[in-house]
Amino acid sequence: MYPSKRKLSPAYIKKSALVSAIFLIAVFLGILVAFWNIQIINNEYYRRLAIKNITRSIDLSAPRGLIVDSERVALSENKINFTLYLVRENVIDMEKTLRLASFFSAKNPDAIRAIIAKYKKYPQFYRIPIKNNLARAIVIFIESRQEEFPEFVIGVEPTRTYPFENCAANVLGYISEITEAELGSKEGKDYALGDFIGRSGIEKQYEPFLKGTKGSQIVIKDNLEKIQKVESEVKPVIGATVVLTLNLELQKFIEALFVDYSGAVGVVDLRTGGILAMVSKPDFNPEVFSQEMDMEQWLALSSDPQKPLQNKFLQGIYSPGSVFKIIMALAGLQEKFINTATVVHCSGSQDFYGREFHCWNLYGHGTMNIVSALQNSCNIFFYNLGKRMDIELIARYARLMGLGERSGIDMPSENTGLVPNSAWKMRTMKQRWFPGETISVAIGHGSMNVTPVQLLKMIATVATRGRMPRLHLLQRIEKEGKKIVEFKPEFTQVPIAAENFQLVIEGLFRVVNDGGTGRTAAIAGLDICGKTGTSQIIAKENPKYETLTKEKRFMPNSWFVSFAPKDNPRLAMVVLIENGGDAGAIAAPLAARIYQKYFADEGLL
Amino acid sequence: MKDYFKYFDKLTFVLLLLLSLIGIVLIFSAGFPLKESDYIKQMVWLFVSLAGFFIVFSLKIDFVFRNALTVYLGLLFILALQVVAGRISAGTKSWFRLGAVGMQFSEFVKIPLALVLAKTMVRFQQVTWKTFILLILLVAGPIFLIILQPDLGVSFILCSFIPIIILLKKIRPLILITSLILALLCGMLVWSSGLKTYQRNRIISFMNPSKYKTSIGYQIIQSKIAIGSGGLSGKGYLKGSQSQYQFLPARHTDFIISVIGEELGFISIAVLLFIFFIIFYRQFKFNFQSDEEFYFIYLFNGLILFQFLINVAMAIGLFPVLGISLPFVSYGGSSLLSFYIGEAIILRIKINNYLT
Repeated sequence: MYPSKRKLSPAYIKKSALVSAIFLIAVFLGILVAFWNIQIINNEYYRRLAIKNITRSIDLSAPRGLIVDSERVALSENKINFTLYLVRENVIDMEKTLRLASFFSAKNPDAIRAIIAKYKKYPQFYRIPIKNNLARAIVIFIESRQEEFPEFVIGVEPTRTYPFENCAANVLGYISEITEAELGSKEGKDYALGDFIGRSGIEKQYEPFLKGTKGSQIVIKDNLEKIQKVESEVKPVIGATVVLTLNLELQKFIEALFVDYSGAVGVVDLRTGGILAMVSKPDFNPEVFSQEMDMEQWLALSSDPQKPLQNKFLQGIYSPGSVFKIIMALAGLQEKFINTATVVHCSGSQDFYGREFHCWNLYGHGTMNIVSALQNSCNIFFYNLGKRMDIELIARYARLMGLGERSGIDMPSENTGLVPNSAWKMRTMKQRWFPGETISVAIGHGSMNVTPVQLLKMIATVATRGRMPRLHLLQRIEKEGKKIVEFKPEFTQVPIAAENFQLVIEGLFRVVNDGGTGRTAAIAGLDICGKTGTSQIIAKENPKYETLTKEKRFMPNSWFVSFAPKDNPRLAMVVLIENGGDAGAIAAPLAARIYQKYFADEGLL
Repeated sequence: MKDYFKYFDKLTFVLLLLLSLIGIVLIFSAGFPLKESDYIKQMVWLFVSLAGFFIVFSLKIDFVFRNALTVYLGLLFILALQVVAGRISAGTKSWFRLGAVGMQFSEFVKIPLALVLAKTMVRFQQVTWKTFILLILLVAGPIFLIILQPDLGVSFILCSFIPIIILLKKIRPLILITSLILALLCGMLVWSSGLKTYQRNRIISFMNPSKYKTSIGYQIIQSKIAIGSGGLSGKGYLKGSQSQYQFLPARHTDFIISVIGEELGFISIAVLLFIFFIIFYRQFKFNFQSDEEFYFIYLFNGLILFQFLINVAMAIGLFPVLGISLPFVSYGGSSLLSFYIGEAIILRIKINNYLT
């Protein structure tokens, strides 16, 4: 019965089968060739892509080296920090991601957008740091729900911390995130966006040693960037330890004395040139820079008229006032304008070039020789000495004693100060030098200005009878327990005769120990030599003084430069108190307390 | 009964079973990273499919052809019902739940449709305008309803009947040209209004995958990387990084061949292709008792071949991603059951010839 229903011709059926078979063979061969092409011929290419898919190279930040004091107490170290990273590759809905990132970081979405925009040129899988010091609760929240937030990664990294907060802030300096502009420069070649770099102080000076060597990790990740396993790892190497000459105990002691003042103190160990304490007040907490700083914080610090970010010891420029008389005395003696027999009568004032110049003691000091003139800081004596000398000669000795040029201490951004002479005046003011100006310069006024570190170097040179030390904060640098750099004390001999130094020192001794202007610095059992300086300031236009009361605003700056003991000196010191008033009343007694502390601690008192 | 066993196309049946077992092994691998249990479901579906196979195999061919139109209309009714229900409760898809088991009715349409088309084809020698329109309407009805589901893959596969009919029948050139233009217009219509944005994006990304690397071209690229990186012998079962670290999308369905390519390599791909080739090749060597049987076998085999080719071409980036699975291998119960039912009819037709 069936065959009746079959009408198709055998030829048609045969043809259909044949065409189908040919078609089948052709198609299957084609597919086989296509697979051969992908799997065998281009195997290498696709294998590389597959490996690229799952492997990621992650930079491991190196912990920064420590900064320690001479007793190896850490002044700047690292602590654990959780950072929130964003991986653009895994973002599904940018708006949602921004909302989440904003919630996690407590920053507004525009700020986050701006951060992401900075990384435009980086690959999509690059981890963009969104927030430092993430709160632990947020860390737990994100990590426990990682599947929901594939675009966020929590990194555990060291962050810079300063255990003593503001202590020695201006010595240590601070670090902050590197900028895009810096990355483009030669200095930025070892850094990546998000890295930190030393910005001031020791952190900047020894950046190459402190920064350490980055490590890297090759990890296997799935399509959600979740790490499946670590393929290989090069461990980061911590930066070298920078050992300073600083004596933390002394530093803290001085800073405690300085709570109400602004100004600077420097203490140097005369045997080595090593700085034992360097204080600049007011100061700041460097840690705020290692965290993320908001604009307000930055503005508050950078626009504070008291300049907490400025290291006044190195960068503050001041008129030296009577402290300059030391250099005048040395120059006068060395150039034989005066000798021990030279006397000048001080009646409180004297006329020079038709203008009346005053001594600070309006009643006059009577007859003064070089020693008593230093002891009493008699202006009239030094006016007369200045009149005999030429400004060029004064400038030469000022430079000889370290003024007008950087002290060479191992710190960045030192100021040069100014030693005026006729060529300088012609260059800057297009005017010749007037002899009357030399009279002012003779007592450290006029256009002359100095930094505290220069005066410290100067008084150190006097203390050592001309053996000028190279001031330094670095003692040594150690890497993995091995010393890689060590500072060797350096001294240069100043061409001034030792007996001239001896005469000046005699004067400085009497300043403190024989009823001189610095008698408030005297300590029983220690021969302190010093010189006060009370330098007028021009306060009219300086915004710095606007925060001060009217009477304090016009108070002079107080200097006290000193060293001890007189013979075989150990310490030299400079104390500057801005608007402190009479140096004998304020700077000198403060210096005495520092000597007391140091020599008592050393068992020498 | 003995004769049934003797003349039963055992090799084809064993090869089909082999494909399904390979499928289960690969579905296990595809679900391995997320510890999915799809492979167990697929095993259950395989048993259901075998049951379906033997039930349909036991039916008389006459009976099957007689009731084809009823089943066809019944399925159209269900599909229409689904569309209406979907409009009411927004978002209802092509899945129709029967208790705990999801049923994709669109997958089953191909069997009664092929039967009805075969019956219709017997009635004319040459494709005339009248018959052409009739055929088009028969195919277009379910396609229209399935597009509304929306299930682009299945409706696209059903389209394959039209060229097969044209190839089997003599056709006036004018009708051929008209049908081509019609196909083009339909394509444009579907492109502009019938496609969802994601479907359109898939096709755009197919044109230029590297430009849409992280978004819409992602699937094609990841699939090519998986296959290409497998090399001659593969990375080893459960060891493919593309599959196991989930770079490969739709691993257990559309891109199951990419899992084979990556983990088991070119050798296994060649073996798989060979199995398919043998199955297809054996289907064209048969005898039959009525013309409608002949047409059915060509139509249904043509559809499987078409689906197979598109799936493979998609995996190696020669065709856009349309959600078309690999017959007998990919995960999907309804699809598996419908293919086994279709094969049951074919194998029964082959036996009948020997029995009489």
